[in-house]
Amino acid sequence: MTTTTTTHTEPGGELQRILNVTRLHLTNKFPMMVLPLLILGFIFLVNYLIWWLIRGVTDPQGAADATQGMQFSGASSFIFIYMLVVAVQSVNLTFPFALGYSVTRRDFYLGTSVMFVLLSGYYAVIMTVMAGLERATNGWGLGGGMFDVIYFRTDNLALQFVLFLLTFLFFFFVGAATAAVYVRWRANGMYVFFAILTLLVIGLVALATYTESWPQVGAWFATNGALGVALWSLTVTALCALTGFLLIRKATPKN
Amino acid sequence: MDESRPIFVQIAEQIENDIISGALPEETQVPSTNEFAAFYRINPATAGKGVNLLVDAGVLYKKRGIGMFVAEGARAAIVANRLGQFQSEYVRPLVAEAAKLGITQAQLADMIKREGRQ
Amino acid sequence: MTAVVEVTGLTKTFGSLNAVDNVSFTVEQNKIYGLLGRNGAGKTTLMQLLTAQDFPTRGSIRVFGENPVETAKVLQNVCFIKESQKYPDDFQVKHVLKSAPWFFRNWDAEYAERLVHDFRLPANRRIKKLSRGQLSSVGVIVGLASRAPLTFFDEPYLGLDAVARQIFYDRLLEDYAEHPRTVILSTHLIDEVSNLLEHVLVIDEGRILLDEDAENVRGSATTVVGARTAVDTFVGRREVLHREGIGGLASVTIGALTPEERREAAAAGLELSPVSLQQLIVRKTNTSNQEFEQSA
Repeated sequence: MTTTTTTHTEPGGELQRILNVTRLHLTNKFPMMVLPLLILGFIFLVNYLIWWLIRGVTDPQGAADATQGMQFSGASSFIFIYMLVVAVQSVNLTFPFALGYSVTRRDFYLGTSVMFVLLSGYYAVIMTVMAGLERATNGWGLGGGMFDVIYFRTDNLALQFVLFLLTFLFFFFVGAATAAVYVRWRANGMYVFFAILTLLVIGLVALATYTESWPQVGAWFATNGALGVALWSLTVTALCALTGFLLIRKATPKN
Repeated sequence: MDESRPIFVQIAEQIENDIISGALPEETQVPSTNEFAAFYRINPATAGKGVNLLVDAGVLYKKRGIGMFVAEGARAAIVANRLGQFQSEYVRPLVAEAAKLGITQAQLADMIKREGRQ
Repeated sequence: MTAVVEVTGLTKTFGSLNAVDNVSFTVEQNKIYGLLGRNGAGKTTLMQLLTAQDFPTRGSIRVFGENPVETAKVLQNVCFIKESQKYPDDFQVKHVLKSAPWFFRNWDAEYAERLVHDFRLPANRRIKKLSRGQLSSVGVIVGLASRAPLTFFDEPYLGLDAVARQIFYDRLLEDYAEHPRTVILSTHLIDEVSNLLEHVLVIDEGRILLDEDAENVRGSATTVVGARTAVDTFVGRREVLHREGIGGLASVTIGALTPEERREAAAAGLELSPVSLQQLIVRKTNTSNQEFEQSA
């Protein structure tokens, strides 16, 4: 009895396969590309009303103080957390589905990573535009700060874009790596992972406290600035990306 | 479909029955394997096996590109074959059962005649 | 005949349990196989190994001549439809129909449309909101319309009512007749599918009990019923698959009988009744269980 391979790979096959996975993630564009913007829009609206109220009610001195305070708005941090969740969902739910479509784990991970990069670019553009507008209108005419906040301020819009891009990538791949831990080792894996993570964080905090090196930590952030920190975060992002890949390679779609 | 015997045998028998009864005259086309399979809701390969059984026995033959046809003389051949089995398959059990119930040969002959009249 | 799947010494262990235990068999091209066995016998695990969704502990698997694990050019020609398939949140039926062709080269969109109509599936409904039966239909439709050269169906018709199941069997046969492919169907509803199968693989407790042409299995057992002594005399030293009785009546399942032997039984006043594929497999499975218990 002989075996035959009734299969063949076309030269463009591999790239096409990877992009098919990307396409798969984006089949339903609403939850990934529209809904976050709607929510962001809503948050902006709420913030705008609050700024308007503050402006209307306080005197000039108070207004200046308030403006200072508004530079630290965490409103836009929502979108980064949302992307983290998107990454977790993408890996967690789409992995067994992709396997059901006979996709290899490698193609799945690469296709998903491409999707992360595309979404990062998409949202980075949007955030940069909004930040630019905010700066140009002096806080939407009310001194408000949601996009152009102190953590994310750089000299020009091009750098602003890079900053946003790197931050989005960070959150995406951290989410992906976390989901990969779950997909690989399920609930037990998550418990162990978070236990280790907690110990690590506590350990580092304890270390910094005992060696009284918090000022140095602060200084490091200050000297590097937002962009510098983001560039350093790239190493973490890359590490997460690699870890995610290695974990997924051995994962199975347990029921 | 009877569960106790291979299906392909039953398919072959069904075709033979149709040939004997005249539903499938000689030199006419027989439904295709796929049509049999769909009708009886069985695997096409199984249906094919039944058809092949008859091809091997010379009851059916294949016309290239068209399909399966009933061979000339098929009816006579099938009848002759069945006659050979008639004694052991039908007569012997009949006689045995009659003996069990205490029916005499004469009574049995009578019953057969009565059946014949109806 | 060309072999599409070749399995040698395959074992999969979960903890101390051998879900698949030193299994070896071959699957030939363009035949419909039944992978039959009880719940928990190892059917799903075996299919997951063959489709590289899980990894073997020991042994080798060759699909289209190669190890399927992470091999895109093999897996592209495989379609595995399982009952517990998860779908992305917010996915609707139409999204499945839209994305499936990207992954299955032979996808027939028109055929898929017809099947959606046959199974009365609402195209715009979210997968999460589908009934059990509708969810099964989605899987069945993908499996059929994919026309993948090697298609696995792991009990995807649980949840389908009897009418829908019949539609599935009919469509499967129809499509297989016109576009032959290798199909492996796993089920514990043996009698329903028995006529569809060309080859039968029976698995029990991770081991292959039977690897036979379906037609050879059909009619390979007979049940002899009658007065206990008469039955025992007739059965003699033949291998007994199953024995039961009540009062002076006994019912014994043995192997196939020749026409001569059948007449002999009739003459002895015994009744012979057929043994369906399902009953045969149940008997064989119970026998193996008993032997296993005895040897333990």
